[in-house]
Amino acid sequence: MRNISDQEIIDSVRKGNDSDYSIIVNRYKNKAFSMLKRMLKNEFDAEEVLQDCFLKAYNSLSSFKGESKFSTWFYRIVYNTALTRLSSQKRKTESEMTSVEDHFNLESEYRSDEIEREDVNQLIRKTISKLPERYSAIITMFYLSEMSIEEISEVTAMSISNVKVMLHRSRNSLRDLILKTRLIEELI
Amino acid sequence: MIQITDEILNKYLDGELNKEETEQVKSALRNSEELQRKFNALKLVHDKLSILKEDEVSAGFTEKLMKKIVIRKSAVPKQQKYFIASVATFITILCLVFFGFSISAIISTAPSSIGDSKSVFDSIPNLSDGLVKTLKQLFSGAGLSIIGSIFSIVVFISGYFFFEMQKRSKADLGNGQHL
Repeated sequence: MRNISDQEIIDSVRKGNDSDYSIIVNRYKNKAFSMLKRMLKNEFDAEEVLQDCFLKAYNSLSSFKGESKFSTWFYRIVYNTALTRLSSQKRKTESEMTSVEDHFNLESEYRSDEIEREDVNQLIRKTISKLPERYSAIITMFYLSEMSIEEISEVTAMSISNVKVMLHRSRNSLRDLILKTRLIEELI
Repeated sequence: MIQITDEILNKYLDGELNKEETEQVKSALRNSEELQRKFNALKLVHDKLSILKEDEVSAGFTEKLMKKIVIRKSAVPKQQKYFIASVATFITILCLVFFGFSISAIISTAPSSIGDSKSVFDSIPNLSDGLVKTLKQLFSGAGLSIIGSIFSIVVFISGYFFFEMQKRSKADLGNGQHL
């Protein structure tokens, strides 16, 4: 069966076939949920915000000009809605997170013996959630949603070089952390 | 010779270095066990992240969302209908009050002998005179102030609803509008 493109589905929804929107929802719900869960650090909030994002996207379909991919447009809604939610929750102030010069120490999140006996897969999975929200969003978009640096830059409204810096910094932190596990010598 | 920093290792991993730089990194990796260990760990992170599995939303998420969309879709025209109906009702009531007031004013100014000897057509000039007098009364002094006030309230209420509708539609557009 031919894989229907996002644009074809959107055109169909615009013509009044609302039920076709469920194809879009099913296509993006888990990836966007993964990103939101890591940004908001809370499963319940993530699902609530995700629902908001799909409703926003549906209501704004008429304004989607198709100049960029639907996924880029949709992830921009997701990313900005998550940041709005975070700022309203006052978990982190906006100013704290705007600079790429942010310092975060993932190792401080764990006890040294905890790192040593942790499974690498599990450790990576857990640690992404401990990254600052913008970093975890970039990692999720790059690896899970397989978006290019340019697309991520468009979604986050950051420069390409800043996105790269944040991606590299996240990878370096994860690397430093897994270098402390006992299994690492067997793995590399 | 370039200095092999974490940044360079990341760029090497992503294939962003030119041929010459790539060769230099390869050579440095061959000569340094520590650097090799660092790079292998970085590659391991990259590989593990590449096979990362997505989290799943709760069962029935799509169905719940689609139901909400259907409900909202039917709710928006309803709100608009209520708004139009309330404005129309207000204007109708205003017209009826105006009409009733005019009729009562005409009747009170008309001569009492209408039914006695003259026909209805003879009384038309008197009735129109009464109407003109009533309108003059209505649109002068205190009457004009009352009508002006009522009209201002109508404009103000309509403006408020219009502003709210604009605000809601702007909020619905979200942040991705320009894309």
